[in-house]
Amino acid sequence: MALLELDDVTVRYGGLTAVAGVSLSVDSGEVRAIIGPNGAGKTTLFNAITGHATLTAGSIRFRAERIDGLAPYVVSAKGVRRTFQNGGLFGELTALENVLAGLHTQVSTGLFGVLFGLPAARAAERAATTRARGLLELMGIGHLADQPARALSGGQQRMVEIVRALATRPPLLLLDEPAVGLAPVVREQLLGVIRRLVQEEGIAVVLIEHAIEFVMTVSDRIVVLNDGKVIADGTPAEVPRNREVLEAYLGH
Amino acid sequence: MPGAASVSVARPPARGRWVFLLVPLLVLPVPFLVNRYIQYVLNLILVYVLVGVGFNIVIGNLGQLAFANVALFGLGAYASGILVVHAGWPWWTTVVPAGLIGALAGVLASLPALRRIRLFYLAIMTMAFGELLRWIYIRAEPLTNGSMGLAVPPPMLLGLRLQSDRSKFYVFLVLVVVVVLLTSSLLRSRFGRAFMAIRDNELAAAAMGIATDRYFVLAFAWSGFVVGVAGAMYTALVGHVTPEAFNLLELILHFAIVMVGGLASLAGSVIGAIVLTTTPELFRSFPGVQELVLSILIIGVLLFLPRGLVSLLARRWPAFHERYYRE
Repeated sequence: MALLELDDVTVRYGGLTAVAGVSLSVDSGEVRAIIGPNGAGKTTLFNAITGHATLTAGSIRFRAERIDGLAPYVVSAKGVRRTFQNGGLFGELTALENVLAGLHTQVSTGLFGVLFGLPAARAAERAATTRARGLLELMGIGHLADQPARALSGGQQRMVEIVRALATRPPLLLLDEPAVGLAPVVREQLLGVIRRLVQEEGIAVVLIEHAIEFVMTVSDRIVVLNDGKVIADGTPAEVPRNREVLEAYLGH
Repeated sequence: MPGAASVSVARPPARGRWVFLLVPLLVLPVPFLVNRYIQYVLNLILVYVLVGVGFNIVIGNLGQLAFANVALFGLGAYASGILVVHAGWPWWTTVVPAGLIGALAGVLASLPALRRIRLFYLAIMTMAFGELLRWIYIRAEPLTNGSMGLAVPPPMLLGLRLQSDRSKFYVFLVLVVVVVLLTSSLLRSRFGRAFMAIRDNELAAAAMGIATDRYFVLAFAWSGFVVGVAGAMYTALVGHVTPEAFNLLELILHFAIVMVGGLASLAGSVIGAIVLTTTPELFRSFPGVQELVLSILIIGVLLFLPRGLVSLLARRWPAFHERYYRE
């Protein structure tokens, strides 16, 4: 049983078909890459999975349960977490507060407890703070905890966003262009982080990426999208030999 | 690898909120040192502290261009006045109902925003809401006494008549401290973080499992409660509630308190209330100069300190950077 199953997913915006009948599956413990030229529908596919875009047709199952048509916050609470292509951090909040916001659904405080500072609510808030600090330290960015997110470099922001997405230990993580614009050293770090998560925690990672050597190194299976359709789906060894892929990338 | 620039903006870890207790303690003896006029201005400052604190939640923390603040303020003031005059309630029992009426109106004002009516559209709709209420205050004569205004007897507290401004000051001070501390607790919790997450990136907030609509309603409701309580205090202070007090000029004053003090800053709301209440009073004896000074003050502060006067203090005392977590 696959962790995530897309069946004939179609997303249409007015006259434009951004995603046209995509079917694919993601298993636990694998890294799945989605590649394709600009405008191929990669980010729209992510939006469809997380509930940020509405499906015109098809279905999406997560752990055998239909998740299409659910609000993004419900999908997230079920264990599908993501990062955003252009940086999805809360700029005015610090790195620590960003990770705490990521833990939102796991801090079990009620309004009454918060307002009147009841011991249980205070303890839950403190525990979340300790956990958020711990997560940042684990990723080697503990020293950034009290910096406002907007003041961080692009690479640091990317790392904080990944920590925030991972804070709830989601079974499925969607990364939208995680390696773009990263220095080679940071890219290596990111690679290590993804591998560790997949091997040690057994989570599934789906990533959209243009950096092709990064995709080849990290992925177990690669899906190639063009004009909203899947034109190839296979291992890093198979995909580059596909004729349609070569055409899409190199022209005729 | 943090660059030198990013190190300098690092904020210190969370501190206690001792300022919100220390300052009220320090001002306790003040009523015995000032004359009646200054006492009145101090009371007015306390009213406007809550006006600013409430407004700031919606425009600063939640980041919405919602300008229903004067509507909430007026409703709180009228609710308190009407309950005292027509229902015969002692003033102190009208404070929470005034807050609840404000909260209800706040929720009403949040409805367009839930339907994705935002920015300029939300701004003009909420302003129109305020003007509509002013029309209602004038027309609902049996309740409000129309444009003549509602005369409200001196406030009663547990059978005591709060005749002097000095006695009102202590009651107001307690109310302000309680409401500010509750608001601070709210903002430092996952609820407050959710408000700011929505402000900074609504799509990402939803992707973090934050039910954005629910927090819109909560932020507007809490804002309305705080401003409604301020309305009840206003009624107790001036004893005469008129529709004219809740016009668009009043809205500009509320807006200026938040902006001059500092967006999304509790301390900023307090500072803004002090500065914008005091300045016109200082120039009261020079007609025409008042408006000039006030305008130049607003323009000048925002030109040089876009994050408000609180950013000046935060530069010197990093504790003025508010933290949104507990440790």
